[in-house]
Amino acid sequence: MHRDGACYFRDMAVHWKRFILILVAGVAAGFAWNAASGRGFALGRSVLVQAGDELVEAADAGALLRRGALFLDARPRDFWRMSRIPGSLPLPEEDFDRAFAEAEPQVRRASGIVVYCSGFGCEASHIVARKLRERGFIAAILDEGLPAWQDLGLPIDAEPRS
Amino acid sequence: MIALLRNPRLHLVLRLLLGAVFVYASLDKIWDPAAFARIVYQWQVVGPVPSNLVAVTLPWIELAAGLLLIAGVWKRESALVIALLLVVFIVAAGSVMARGIDVENCGCVSVAKAGPPSDWPPAWTKGVGWFLVSRNLVFLGAALALAIVTPQRRA
Repeated sequence: MHRDGACYFRDMAVHWKRFILILVAGVAAGFAWNAASGRGFALGRSVLVQAGDELVEAADAGALLRRGALFLDARPRDFWRMSRIPGSLPLPEEDFDRAFAEAEPQVRRASGIVVYCSGFGCEASHIVARKLRERGFIAAILDEGLPAWQDLGLPIDAEPRS
Repeated sequence: MIALLRNPRLHLVLRLLLGAVFVYASLDKIWDPAAFARIVYQWQVVGPVPSNLVAVTLPWIELAAGLLLIAGVWKRESALVIALLLVVFIVAAGSVMARGIDVENCGCVSVAKAGPPSDWPPAWTKGVGWFLVSRNLVFLGAALALAIVTPQRRA
């Protein structure tokens, strides 16, 4: 009964319900897997934040700087050489032990410590703060890192260092 | 051109290849959702919590669409889902490149941390850049061909 044209046209049709169903099934499976597989993680906070991490907002960190807290730069050392939060010391994640040996006297004297890196997906500040914690020093992590700091117009020392 | 695109053998090959790519790409991300969430966050397209939601759900959509495509069930719709994902990936990669953000591992297939620079394959195949965009445009072409063109019925 069907003419070729009719069949062809029926073939062309996209079933949008199926399209939506694939998306919905994928989303549902993802949440179920995250909840039940044992491989999931807490969805409600940044994946970089672990239990014990202490975060400080940029505005509060600015106040800490004015009160003389020590800032530690967890980015690669070349970034610190180019520009940095005033008075900060380099403590790159990948060269932690050596850099810590250099910074240790000031870390011991510090009245407060803030670790920062380049923000967003940067995990270095979290890792450095945890390594400091292992050594008995409480260090806060600058939430969202340098971009948040710069957004508030807080000071940056851009004089190149060797 | 249209005659070639309507070739049922070509459809079969495209379907199996594209489906296999998406299934394979989903597995590592499904196995370690937290590692994938870190990578999504590094793209800086969405914030920390939305990155988590993307990381948890996206690989399963890839898996579902890829399996359907391989099985030949709901071919047009699964190809369209893949095309939609590819458009999102291409726009996001363009945004990352335009903002000059350095993403060493795009998280497209593997969520492992980037190894030393000498590693094979070379870094430009793993990061977000022109290689990734070109590859995704090729995949998008295949997905759209599968979604839009009806294969010729064998007589």
